[in-house]
Amino acid sequence: MSGRCWRVGILGCGAIAWPHLEHLGRLAAAQRVEIVGVCDRSAATARFAAERAGVDVVCGDLDDLLERTAPDVVHVLTPPHTHEALSLRCLEAGVHVLCEKPAAPDRAALERLLAAAAHAGRRFTESQNLRWNDQVMAIAAAVAQGELGQVVDIDLLLMLDLAGGPLGAAGPDGPSVRLPGGAVHDLLPHLAYLLVHLAGPELEQRADEQPDSIEVVGRLRNASGNARLGYDQLDALVAASPLRARIRVAGDLRPDGLRIVVRGTRGAMETDLYHPYLRAEGVAGSTATGLVAPAANGIRMAWSAMTGIADKVRRHDVFHGLGRLLDTWYADLDEPGPGPVAPAAMRATVSLTERLVELRSESCRSRP
Amino acid sequence: MTVLVTGANGFLGRRVVRAAARAGHDVLALVRPGAAPAAELVDDDRVEVVRGDLRADGPWRRAAAAADAVVHLAAATSGDLATQVAGTVRATEQLLVAIDSSALDRFVHVSSFSVYDADALATGDVLDERSPLEADPSRRDAYTATKLFQERLVREAFAAHPERLVVLRPGMIFGPGHDWAWGAALTLGTRAAVLIAPHAPMPVVYVDDCADAVVAALGSSAAGGRTIDLVDDDLPTHAGLARLGRRLGRAPAIALPVPWTVAAGLGRLVATIDRRWFAGRARLPEVLASARLAARWKPRRYDNALAHELLDWSPSVGIHEGARRTASGAAR
Repeated sequence: MSGRCWRVGILGCGAIAWPHLEHLGRLAAAQRVEIVGVCDRSAATARFAAERAGVDVVCGDLDDLLERTAPDVVHVLTPPHTHEALSLRCLEAGVHVLCEKPAAPDRAALERLLAAAAHAGRRFTESQNLRWNDQVMAIAAAVAQGELGQVVDIDLLLMLDLAGGPLGAAGPDGPSVRLPGGAVHDLLPHLAYLLVHLAGPELEQRADEQPDSIEVVGRLRNASGNARLGYDQLDALVAASPLRARIRVAGDLRPDGLRIVVRGTRGAMETDLYHPYLRAEGVAGSTATGLVAPAANGIRMAWSAMTGIADKVRRHDVFHGLGRLLDTWYADLDEPGPGPVAPAAMRATVSLTERLVELRSESCRSRP
Repeated sequence: MTVLVTGANGFLGRRVVRAAARAGHDVLALVRPGAAPAAELVDDDRVEVVRGDLRADGPWRRAAAAADAVVHLAAATSGDLATQVAGTVRATEQLLVAIDSSALDRFVHVSSFSVYDADALATGDVLDERSPLEADPSRRDAYTATKLFQERLVREAFAAHPERLVVLRPGMIFGPGHDWAWGAALTLGTRAAVLIAPHAPMPVVYVDDCADAVVAALGSSAAGGRTIDLVDDDLPTHAGLARLGRRLGRAPAIALPVPWTVAAGLGRLVATIDRRWFAGRARLPEVLASARLAARWKPRRYDNALAHELLDWSPSVGIHEGARRTASGAAR
């Protein structure tokens, strides 16, 4: 681990900035980072964030931030349609970039960003924070150790009140999501990288190198009538033999949740990242089999209920994986490696996201 | 004069719109796009509904620029920190950019008792306009943090014309739909209620009385540049409001009193556990979170002399009639 204390600038003080500031505050206490400036087009919002985080420098634009604070790293936390231009500006200035998802609107833009990072000798990383959540790590470990057998089926369902949240509300610049796939597009990278991550390296390679060989069918549409959201409902089937997956985003289901079910040839695991629990059935290596298995799952669910209360008290929320991502990211930032999110993972994520966005409009189908 | 009322569709906003129209003002009632305006806003020829979201650009800016006065009520009262920063801080920033502070006759900003530092006062002290503000908002909730910041923004915007600004800090505004649990800290089913500090006064003000004070602030030259607390003349205790609620059939029959010293002791114990095992970051309910517990329940006295003097205001509805209206859900 590097002993260096990185100078960090925060670009964008919207909703996602608060989890970043919280976890960076912990790293700052350990003298691994220093938050040298915050920046937002809303001067009041930036001031509020700066006071909350104990930061002295408040900036109105990126150039101001770069000039006044000379950061080593910028966290790009602005609206998605601005990510590419702002990240490129940071990389050109010789600054490492940790960018919120989607890091790029399409594959071509991502390639430009990765090329700029390579040219500058700096790291450009998309924040795929949910990969470091407790339950996702547990399922990924079971998959990697073969406890589920061959993964053949993954079900991802994101239920979120899109119209009631920040995506549905207009910001000072109008619609908050200026992406081809609307509000769903802003969330799709989470589902795409979770699918790629949990399915294993074969899907990552295929989505990276031959994304068009993956069959994607379904529908992406506006179901709420809220024009500011663009598209707010997705129901898609993804087939990449032997894997099949269903990916859904629904703004009309309650409560909010991100349900994940991974089924293999020997067993299955299930969780929800908003209301965490972990359920395992027939998992190889488990001592609980036969009649004992239901009881073991019951005990596990009861334990989840207890830990769920404790998690709420200690604020171990859906963003807790971001803390681990930052720990890992900053630990080897001065080394030449790709960091915790490899370019192949980012390429696979953006390519799969693009395929899903192609489903927009009624009854649109996209086949290889 | 022409008065822009932000947050016009809210609990207090709709009453302010009606009171302002009755006082002879032309009212521009700012209502969020997509929200159905309350009856008070559509039944009066003096009221024009303006659609707009303060967080976004829009035609509401023209209404703001055309107004002679502004009553700023808009704020996010719930949601996470990001939601409240957007709905309170950012929205206020946008409003202040849209208006010309040198051209306005009056800007009435409705702040809150939540901005005061309750711990700075000893038990039984008087909380009034001179009381210190919360110095460490992080130990309170997002509402306090954003309302404090909002008040600062407004004061900065009127630094060159302080006489045009009036800051009102209402206590607990009650009325139909907002009964403050009839003084209870917790209700146990429908039969029992826990009353913390049962004999401490509650800084309540009935919503229509509060609206009258807001409208009075629009026209009072004496109020210019001043900060004014708003509470009723005849404040009930927690137990007193619970009794009123019981008589009106709205509060549980059984009251379980918890003396303030016991509640405060429990709060300190929980705070110690929080510091030791949760690094002071534990998310706790109000009755266990020491600073928030003190802000809401610590016994204090209150003073509304400035409101009487500067606004020539007296509550016309009051607590007893207000409680009756609250219980029946009736408006004035």
